[in-house]
Amino acid sequence: MNSVSMPASRLWAAYFGEMRFEFVKSLRTPAFAVPTLFFPIMFYLLFGIFLGSMRGNSGMSQYTFATYGVFGAMGPGLFGFGVSLAIEREQGLLLLKQALPQPPGAYLMARAAMAMLFVAIISLMLTLMAVLIGGVPLSISQGTRLFFIDVLGALPFCAIGMFLGSLVSGSASPAIVNLIFLPMAFLSGLWLPLQFMPKFLADIAPIWPAYHLAQMALGTVGAPSAGTTASHVAVLASVTLVFFLLAMRRMHGSGFRLLGARPKRTLAIAAGVTAVVLGLSLSGVIGGKPASKEDAPAATDAASAAADTPVSVAPAGVAAPATPVLANFDEGSEAAAYGVGWTAVGDETRGGNSKATQRLVGGGVAGSKGALEVTGEVGEAIQYPFAGTMFFPVGPPMQGLMDYSGKKALTFQARGDGRRYMLMVISGVQMDAIPLMVDFEAGADWHEVRLDLAKLGAADFKRVRAIGIGTMGPTGPFRFEIDDVRLE
Amino acid sequence: MSQTTLASLSGVRKRFGKIQALDGFDLAVKRGELLAVLGPNGAGKSTAISILLGLQTADEGSAELFGHAPQEIDGRRRIGVMMQEVMLPGVMRPRELLEQVASYYPVPYDVDEVIARMSLEGLLKRPYGKLSGGQKRQVQFALAICGRPELLFLDEPTVGLDVQAREALWKVVRELMHEGCSIVLTTHYLEEAEALADRVAVMARGRLITTGSVNEIRSHVSRKQVSCVSRLAPDTVRAWPEAAQVEMERDRLQINTREAEALLVRLFREDPQLSDIEVKRAGLAEAFTELTNESKGAA
Repeated sequence: MNSVSMPASRLWAAYFGEMRFEFVKSLRTPAFAVPTLFFPIMFYLLFGIFLGSMRGNSGMSQYTFATYGVFGAMGPGLFGFGVSLAIEREQGLLLLKQALPQPPGAYLMARAAMAMLFVAIISLMLTLMAVLIGGVPLSISQGTRLFFIDVLGALPFCAIGMFLGSLVSGSASPAIVNLIFLPMAFLSGLWLPLQFMPKFLADIAPIWPAYHLAQMALGTVGAPSAGTTASHVAVLASVTLVFFLLAMRRMHGSGFRLLGARPKRTLAIAAGVTAVVLGLSLSGVIGGKPASKEDAPAATDAASAAADTPVSVAPAGVAAPATPVLANFDEGSEAAAYGVGWTAVGDETRGGNSKATQRLVGGGVAGSKGALEVTGEVGEAIQYPFAGTMFFPVGPPMQGLMDYSGKKALTFQARGDGRRYMLMVISGVQMDAIPLMVDFEAGADWHEVRLDLAKLGAADFKRVRAIGIGTMGPTGPFRFEIDDVRLE
Repeated sequence: MSQTTLASLSGVRKRFGKIQALDGFDLAVKRGELLAVLGPNGAGKSTAISILLGLQTADEGSAELFGHAPQEIDGRRRIGVMMQEVMLPGVMRPRELLEQVASYYPVPYDVDEVIARMSLEGLLKRPYGKLSGGQKRQVQFALAICGRPELLFLDEPTVGLDVQAREALWKVVRELMHEGCSIVLTTHYLEEAEALADRVAVMARGRLITTGSVNEIRSHVSRKQVSCVSRLAPDTVRAWPEAAQVEMERDRLQINTREAEALLVRLFREDPQLSDIEVKRAGLAEAFTELTNESKGAA
């Protein structure tokens, strides 16, 4: 019997044609295109941009931008698989495709590609609106990361949708998908930040996959976020795998071979391709960047100005010495008990014109011998200026990491010209992570500033690069003194 | 003429819960033939076809499509399929559907050629969902043939078609056979099988009852139908052992019989005025009913 072989070019064309078909079909189906494509865009425009601009709260603009992107990433997968699979399973189309020589896995791949393409469109539209209308500060590298987070983030929802589509009837599926889609979006904090929700709802938020995607997105745009990239990726990958396998089992039980006659081989090839693509995107774009743990959504230029240096391993810093004293400035030196000591810094390296100088002065706190005086001027050349003094626990400055996770509190004495100053902790694997900032007032008399580390969850105290004390403005001259800095 | 087997089921058993859908079923489709699979509802026709298409697996026995297991894509690249009760995406246009299905095959027909052959030109502007039931069947038939199949599976292809459309479809089926395409046809329209089939396979209760040409199937059946004008009352005739079944249709007596000659002798004896006599061999419909009833009796 003569055998008919399928040329590879025709096979690729069949896979590609299937994707194009699926995309055109979805675009022409209002019941799919409207809720998935227009709702996130319209809601963002209404609630994120117009309502946000009325509130005039700049922190919220980044929050809504990131979370509506995640909302947009949920819909195409949930509806594309959840509703269409349920309907086509019932209507016999899936069976016909299986009788026809549709290439193995083409049905699933086309649907997943369609969902990701829809998400890509949504993500680009939201980014354009955020930057052009919403005035959300966003660097190209942040925008790119967010795009990939949203597009790859469609996959867990494809898997959940596929599971639903394998389970429910075609007529019930839109209702069921909405019952999962909308509450999950709300409970994951996509519309309303979790801190405005009842505590128990905020506490259980990590059970929702959308929550993990949202935390990655928030970390990327420099808004407060929790957890690490690795943990979020692990949760989302597990969700994808578990729901995909459950759905495949269920479909197989009903006689559907979505991956052809040799599902394991098809799956292995698909998994290989996916692993390469995911690996490249994760290492290249998202990197080992932990979601930055930040209290104040400020200083986004710090993230964008610094180079993107993906670090895939994240060892903890050097163990901190037992001594609680960092510096008391009584030995006639600006040096600290360990590390690279205190260094006056301005923002010239970041293109600014703020300057600072420091010197030892007499008359420390409680009659001690010396204190450190820092004087200078805050310039206005860049958006987020800084001038002050910095302590690097491990050399070389900014490179070495110290593990302060065993310490409970950071205290120091301060006095000055009455301006408000800022304590800054630069920590984490990534050089460009946004630092923790806590402000305090330096009045004419010495007083103690005490920070309980347990209450400062937003810094990575296992990996501290620098501790800075200084000012971010307003512009003009400043003067303050510090003494008796302790970590105990 | 070489009788290559393109598709076969041998000794296939398939059970769904308490129902034994196939109970040791054998079938072989030869190159170049049109095989009609007939049987009452529940006979196992659709289960048999599903197993041949790889949509279900047999509990026992084996299925082959071009020498491959039907689940393997290689065999299915050489078949075309038209199924009953399939809803295709309503928002897509006929040409888009054809292009998609044609893309699955190594050497499909040109899509325009298929459109011309099935006279679909008038339907191209409308999305599939806006077509009438008959037009949808025409598109589905076009999808079944667009891959240049060597073996075509047609499940009730003319349901919902008007007489003209049915004739047009039959014409294309005959052309395809002439070009060497083999066809497996499942149908409820016996006239369709009589008009097209080289060979008929009759199924009942999950088994193959008999197979042969339309004439052979008819000849299996000993019954003949005698029709005449008589003054005898139907109940009188019904009491005769020679008459199996008696009906009065208008003024004519319709008698089903296994012993036509003996019946005629008795009719003339009882009613010398008997007139307008017709004796017919049973059609496929009667043959089919009898064959499947016999199998029921035997079981």
